[in-house]
Amino acid sequence: MIRFRRLLAGLLLFLGAGAAGAQGVLLDQGEIDAALLHGPWPPPRTGDPSNRVSGIPEAIELGRILFSSPALSSGGRLSCASCHDPDNGFTDGLETARSHVGRLDRNTQGLFNLAGMRWFGWDGRSDSLWAQSLLPIIRSDEMALDVGQIADALQDGPLRERYEGLFGPADSQAPDRNLANVGKALAAYIETITTGKTPFDRFRDALEAGDLEAAAAYPEDAQRGFRIFAGKGKCTFCHVGPLFSNSEFHDAGVPYFVEPTRVDTGRHGGIEALLGSRFTLRGAFSDDPAKTGAWKVERLVRSHDDFGTFRTPSLRELTRTAPYMHNGSLATLRDVVNHYSTIDLERMHTDGEAILEPLDLSERETADLVAFLESLSTR
Amino acid sequence: MQDFVRAILATAILLSPYAGVATAEEMPLFDAHIHYSHDAVKQVPPRQAAKILRDAGIRKALVSSSDDDGTQKLHEAAPDIVVPSLRPYRRRGETRTWVDDESVIAYIEDRLSRFKYKAIGEFHAYGSDIDKPVVQRMIALAKENGLLLHAHSDADAIDRIFSTWPGAKVLWAHSGFESAEEVGQMLGKHENLWSDLAFRSEHGSGGSVPANWRAVFEAFPERFMIGTDTFAPERWYYIKSHADFSRAWLKDLPQDLARNIGYSNAERMLEAVGQ
Repeated sequence: MIRFRRLLAGLLLFLGAGAAGAQGVLLDQGEIDAALLHGPWPPPRTGDPSNRVSGIPEAIELGRILFSSPALSSGGRLSCASCHDPDNGFTDGLETARSHVGRLDRNTQGLFNLAGMRWFGWDGRSDSLWAQSLLPIIRSDEMALDVGQIADALQDGPLRERYEGLFGPADSQAPDRNLANVGKALAAYIETITTGKTPFDRFRDALEAGDLEAAAAYPEDAQRGFRIFAGKGKCTFCHVGPLFSNSEFHDAGVPYFVEPTRVDTGRHGGIEALLGSRFTLRGAFSDDPAKTGAWKVERLVRSHDDFGTFRTPSLRELTRTAPYMHNGSLATLRDVVNHYSTIDLERMHTDGEAILEPLDLSERETADLVAFLESLSTR
Repeated sequence: MQDFVRAILATAILLSPYAGVATAEEMPLFDAHIHYSHDAVKQVPPRQAAKILRDAGIRKALVSSSDDDGTQKLHEAAPDIVVPSLRPYRRRGETRTWVDDESVIAYIEDRLSRFKYKAIGEFHAYGSDIDKPVVQRMIALAKENGLLLHAHSDADAIDRIFSTWPGAKVLWAHSGFESAEEVGQMLGKHENLWSDLAFRSEHGSGGSVPANWRAVFEAFPERFMIGTDTFAPERWYYIKSHADFSRAWLKDLPQDLARNIGYSNAERMLEAVGQ
């Protein structure tokens, strides 16, 4: 059916090719095909089989409450929302997060459209959303809750009744079970943080339907930007599909010193954490009897080029999640484009990320690429 | 009693001048692929770099840098570890341009006149690059000075180096990123070719050596060596992890073979240079 639609779109564009330019559709057939690969949006919703409360309204509500509750932090100082501010694109707007211990190492990622991703976090230390959601609660440099105290924390106000209704009495369960359940409730809520159609999605849908008039409403600078994105920029090698992410790990040429004698090991450390975790899809806390997705951990192969690589982020809602890159070192989308335009190949291994080379974009090309990236946000 | 013994041992270790040095049971390693380039010198000062090598149990390291000042500074900081190699680059970015840059020769000649080296390289040259005047002159300088060539090259370029100078001794960087079988063929063809395993993982990921690599290690037990490849400053903080990785897969080999690949092959290769 999709192939038929593409053929129809191609035929309509071919028949109207002379007029297409006049109507403001600049892409050729190859570029249209490339654009179609970034949709449709939104993707069909699917539950998480490893999380038995995924999609359950009561769990979503408990997760929403937990998300803003300081009860899950040591001393009641922090909640998830302290860094993932719902009014600020679920980020904090800072280069790197702040906590009771001071500045942390990485940029706070937004939480949009996370359901169904392969890896979570900049270093992919979790293979499920629920496992990732519980980590900040127990990390000593984040919410720092003593896991032995979690049952007590769950007695707080509205939490107790809701938790018991879903999972049974907290104080009758082992702390790790409490923690996994909290992660699952949080994940159930975070799965609902989705975004709607963007200007690019409407353009893409119009192309698929062969509606040139509707497609022409998409600004020409954004169309030229998409040409760079899918063409000489080679951005689509990593920023693929409807999410604009391959969910894998790459060296984007961003330095990864954290302080003079310490570096952020990226995926290298993520794999170590993942292999040492008791909260994975192959572990006892997964609710999926088939252990779907356990292969991700079981088939992991360590490689020297894991070191200092970070997960390709989605590009959706970029305008709401500045600053950018794993360490928040690039303040604006223009800075990001300039980074790839002038990328320092001296940092890269000659047999490493072979697709990266300085794009040497003109001022207009830079503006066009920024216009395209901005069109991937709903506001 | 056990606690008392542990306390005595812990105190002895703290008081030892070698505190922080790799523990005795760790296999000593010769890292044959270290760079300490201009930006690394700034971000990982020589004393810190030397400490990283010692903490990882790296007893010797073949070091080349862009520019060469890094090698000299690290040699001053750790003369017992560093074996200097002269890289024909003044900056890392010259990997792509140096074969056509005649000013490289004056740079090499100047450094050779002022410092002692065991090797020239690691340099990047592929196929017919070897036939270019700059590369031919560099090879001639290696011959005049009795130096090893550390080549980041394809198999064709390796063949051309030996055609140019049949008596050359060549360390094949990254084993050319070739398959185990191809590396074996090249080692069979050239008796003065050695292979480093830098920036490759497939021969030992997960701590076990697959059959094809085991076969070639056993066929050429004196020709392979390990290397980290610190191509960016941050990679200095990977040296310890790389050493751990290397020790893990070397344990999967017979002890003598492991010792050869971990340390002795590089030492013997450098002893053979100039003979």
